[in-house]
Amino acid sequence: MRIDLVLELLDVPGQLVKVLEPISGVGVNLVTVIHKRDYKNENGNVPVQLTLEGEQEDLQRLIQRFEDLGFTIIEMDGVVKKEKISTIFFGHIVDQDLRDTMDRINELDGVVIVAFDIKLNGEEKSTALINIEADVGRKQAVFDRIAEIAEEKDLLVINEV
Amino acid sequence: MDECKVIIMGFGSVGQGVANAISMKKDLIYEKTGVAVKVVAAADSSTSAISQDGLDEKLLVETKKNEGKLSAYPEFGCDTNGVDVLDAVEYDCLIEATPTNIVDAEPALSLTLKAFEQGKDVVTSNKGHLALKFREVVGAAEKAGVQFRYEASVGGAMPIINLTKETISSCKIESIKGILNGTTNYILSRMTSEGSAYEVILKESQELGIAETDPTQDVEGIDAACKTVILANSLLGIDATYSDVKVKGISDISSEAIELAKKDDYLIKLIAEVSPDNLQVSPRLVKRGSSYDVSGTLNMATVKTDLAGEISVIGLGAGSLETASAMLTDLISILKNKN
Repeated sequence: MRIDLVLELLDVPGQLVKVLEPISGVGVNLVTVIHKRDYKNENGNVPVQLTLEGEQEDLQRLIQRFEDLGFTIIEMDGVVKKEKISTIFFGHIVDQDLRDTMDRINELDGVVIVAFDIKLNGEEKSTALINIEADVGRKQAVFDRIAEIAEEKDLLVINEV
Repeated sequence: MDECKVIIMGFGSVGQGVANAISMKKDLIYEKTGVAVKVVAAADSSTSAISQDGLDEKLLVETKKNEGKLSAYPEFGCDTNGVDVLDAVEYDCLIEATPTNIVDAEPALSLTLKAFEQGKDVVTSNKGHLALKFREVVGAAEKAGVQFRYEASVGGAMPIINLTKETISSCKIESIKGILNGTTNYILSRMTSEGSAYEVILKESQELGIAETDPTQDVEGIDAACKTVILANSLLGIDATYSDVKVKGISDISSEAIELAKKDDYLIKLIAEVSPDNLQVSPRLVKRGSSYDVSGTLNMATVKTDLAGEISVIGLGAGSLETASAMLTDLISILKNKN
């Protein structure tokens, strides 16, 4: 079988060789490699696109090997891999311009709020559970933005451990 | 060395636990180390009992319980207190179990430094001096060439400092995350299981003696932050003090927040995080069924290492004999190192 992968590489010398090295070791054939060193994505990393052919088992082993080596796989067979983030806000969420809060999270590249569940408590502070999907490697940007909003709007944030 | 004379400073719950534990484990310690442990002095906040020939541990606890002060100890009770006790008798090891003070770390700081000056080893359960002046205190012990152990200061009976320093010494420690305060874990656990409001459970916890009358140190995360500093310094080599920790307690956690978290299969826990780029105590979402899913007054910690992956420990974070167990283990280690 054949798979397409997009991996993210740090912009330092020797990274491409490190990616290519394990491929033959597990008995997988490299069909295509597209690597444009002068293009960087929003994380400041260089994406490399690989098309690989081999037994499913060997391909799985290779993917595991890539992950063990610390390479981030951001796309597999055209599907962008996502990370799910859940967080809770507590405070005057609605009064502190809820629309603005959501827009500022959504405007981050590769980040989208997929669910928002709020419990209102009259004039008192309210509690909201927010589910966010983010492209691989964008988690920290989300946490930073959440912290910034919380600080500004005096919200208590409960992030995942 | 075939005899170790100890002084117990501080005779509240932990100090009494140490006296009881010594009485129970004397024979075992002798078997393990060939050293006979003898309590030559014990002191509460204003009085003491001192005898070079040794005191009866059980009688010390009984005296304190029945009379309220150690000066009532038959024949050897007296009004000597504080650092003067360390001059009143010959000793080898100070077991320091005075209450934690995070304003000026006293009396622990003076007692500990004085013992070092006298060339004595120290075992402590106190967090104050470690959270405020870790480098100074540990540096003083090194300079004096004495042993200083503080396992009981973090996580009570749960082994974390000795485990990390000694048992997995081949590993570099990347981070430690855990639940380091039993009182808040108890409150959050009950809020989760019963759906009740924070104030209701806090009040019940106070009635049960799990939370103190003034619960600030626990519920505002101060206690956990002190432990964060101790772990940062002792296990990750981070030169940090109490003010470097970002602290948020649990008093704002609503039952709605717990309910919403449950919907997504999360629990809310007060988590201490110790890593080179983050020293923080804050309420966090943890997955149900993960290693952070421990309830009641239990403490837990997950140590992330370079070679061994993640290692987690769970144990009782407080209690008289439980905390004393960690101090006694430290004492045994000191004795083994000496012989």
